Amino acid sequence: MSLVYAKNDWYAIAAADEMTLGQQRQTLLLGTPLTVTATDEGVVVRDDQGKTYPYQIKFDHVWTALGDAPRALFDIPEGDEPGRRCVPCGVVRVKCSPLRAVENFLDIAHFPFVHTDILGAEPHTEVEPYKVEIREEQDEVWATKVRFFQPKAAKSAGSGITTEYEYRVPAPTVAVLYKTCPPKPEAQDVIAIFVQPRGEEECDVWPWMALYDDESSFEELVQFQQEIFLQDRSILENQLPHRLPLDPKMEIPTRADMTSVAYRRWLKKRGALYGAMTEVA
Amino acid sequence: MSFTLYNWVLSGNCYKVRLLASLLDVAYETVAVDFHPGQQHKSEAMLALNPAGTLPVLVAGDLVLTETPAMLAWIAATFDPSGRWWPTNDARAMAEVMEWLAFSSALTATSGEARLKAVLDRPIDLPKALAGAERCFRQLEQHLVERRFGGGVWLVGDHPTIADIACFPYVALSPDGGLEHDAFPAIREWLYAIRGLPGFKTMPGIHELHELREGEAVHG
Amino acid sequence: MPTEPIGLSRDLPAKRVMRTMVDGQDIAVWRSASGKIAAWANRCPHRGMRLSHGFVRGENLACLYHGWHYGAHGRCTYIPAHPELEPPATIMAQAFSVEERDGLIWVASDGTAEPRGLPGGLAPLRSLTFQTAKSEASEAFSSTPFEGNPPAVQSSDAGGIVLRVDVDSRTLNIAAALHEANQGETTAHLLVSDEATPAQKVSLSRWCEAVRRRAEAHVTTRGQENAA
Repeated sequence: MSLVYAKNDWYAIAAADEMTLGQQRQTLLLGTPLTVTATDEGVVVRDDQGKTYPYQIKFDHVWTALGDAPRALFDIPEGDEPGRRCVPCGVVRVKCSPLRAVENFLDIAHFPFVHTDILGAEPHTEVEPYKVEIREEQDEVWATKVRFFQPKAAKSAGSGITTEYEYRVPAPTVAVLYKTCPPKPEAQDVIAIFVQPRGEEECDVWPWMALYDDESSFEELVQFQQEIFLQDRSILENQLPHRLPLDPKMEIPTRADMTSVAYRRWLKKRGALYGAMTEVA
Repeated sequence: MSFTLYNWVLSGNCYKVRLLASLLDVAYETVAVDFHPGQQHKSEAMLALNPAGTLPVLVAGDLVLTETPAMLAWIAATFDPSGRWWPTNDARAMAEVMEWLAFSSALTATSGEARLKAVLDRPIDLPKALAGAERCFRQLEQHLVERRFGGGVWLVGDHPTIADIACFPYVALSPDGGLEHDAFPAIREWLYAIRGLPGFKTMPGIHELHELREGEAVHG
Repeated sequence: MPTEPIGLSRDLPAKRVMRTMVDGQDIAVWRSASGKIAAWANRCPHRGMRLSHGFVRGENLACLYHGWHYGAHGRCTYIPAHPELEPPATIMAQAFSVEERDGLIWVASDGTAEPRGLPGGLAPLRSLTFQTAKSEASEAFSSTPFEGNPPAVQSSDAGGIVLRVDVDSRTLNIAAALHEANQGETTAHLLVSDEATPAQKVSLSRWCEAVRRRAEAHVTTRGQENAA
């Protein structure tokens, strides 16, 4: 059942700029081996049996869906705003549930311990109350008015600032955050992770950003994001059980975890259970 | 005298240079090179600088270095007046340090390769790389066990050297590739000792020793 | 089999954490700043992060992920995201019984830890892990010559082996406490008579490497025979 649900979502499976004519990428999506080929008629996504699947190019990535009735792919309108630099950051493999990767991205309380002196530092560990809601019309999880003190919030940040965040979950394996943009206080930087579930306990993660930053080189921006994500990777590979437990008895949340609580409920309600466990093991 | 490091933040070899510079409190410039996904180390501009197409590259005036042990030796010889990090005035210690510098290449070729496969899905035989890493770790563990019988902490002598710095990253990062440290108690103590050095700097996959920040926490 | 030797006390100084498996359970073992040892399920009750990656603050073990502190009996004592909050008493890391005796750390997966007895007068040598079952490691200890002579077996059972070897015209006791943490993976925790000199310890440590080579070669040969 969980696989049927998951097959009708879209997933990033390749970087668009690497799919130049003749290029091919072998990959795995929801346990299905796929070959992605750039032909002169566009991209072809094909499985071992020769079956082809639809694709679309969005947010600098090639997306596909394996099911017969895929839900619409969400939008990130900021990606099209003039003046923003869109930065795909490559792909990183992690042995973890795709849902644990998303949940970690929605979490701020780990900043002082995992992203020490960059996104957080002791003694500034407190998470102030923030607002979480399920926006029914879009069927998305949103957390707003999230504030956290950060020593070096972005590549463009000189010194410590209190950063304001908004988080958005537009699909079970995608998380988007909007955060204070140091050189342009009226705007927000956008950072997302597109998680490609290879299986229920292994994923390829594609970080992507749409930033106002004219100072840093493209390479510096990519490396800043890679540095952050690789700090999370060793955490993600060491969470037990590997699948995200949806039974509230299995892991204990606090007020700082309201986004996670809403995300888990939202997954359960939708039946988006690929990479989750619903009962105590 | 300073230098420029052509750097990728996730490279264990680049980290060796960043770590030694931090321990010796040396300021330097970095140029970010997009190893992944951009493969920029193989770009024409980088190949013109380093025909081997590897990272890191260290440039100081007209000096261009492309092998990490050479960079560590040059930085220590240039910026450490005590001569302890690269003990050139002691033939035996110098030779022992060179043994471990050579050994560090075996770590890169095994543990480092396993990590590239596990993290970036590079075309590498993972079981073979992990078996090689295990053999290296056993050799290192045996040496550190013997050092400990005589009260030694470091690979060579009674002060950390560039040998420790050259070997540290791909030992510390091995869990990224799937080789844990649990079976190597002497290696664990050695890693802990290096992480506790004044001026120690982390990289992703090697976290801060938060136990040393106790005084900064509001709660003990 | 619930009580297993999981390490040498010497290899777990104050403010360190280690990981072991006992009876299929993933366990974090740690020592506080004042020297108290504890063994807990290797899982932070908050988000399941392995506590063996955590860090010691005074008498607490803190989880690396969010810094939640756990103290006596595994009780959560501090949640950094809510510094003013008194953590509910229900937030507990699951504790296992742990005892130290004769320089070894013993952990029980169930009930109270009951260390096996060892001869007195021993000092830690080293721990090393074999890619073999326990019985194969034990067999190799008794059959691998030390400086040309087979060691004299003093006692041997499923938990380990005590041997006597002659070094520099002295007779030394060696005890190997064996723990098969995962199937086909055995760690030998070795102790030696406390009068052994550093040079003798080096010789014995190298002999342990030979023991391991012998045990693993035996397993490899058998594997090849089975394959043929």
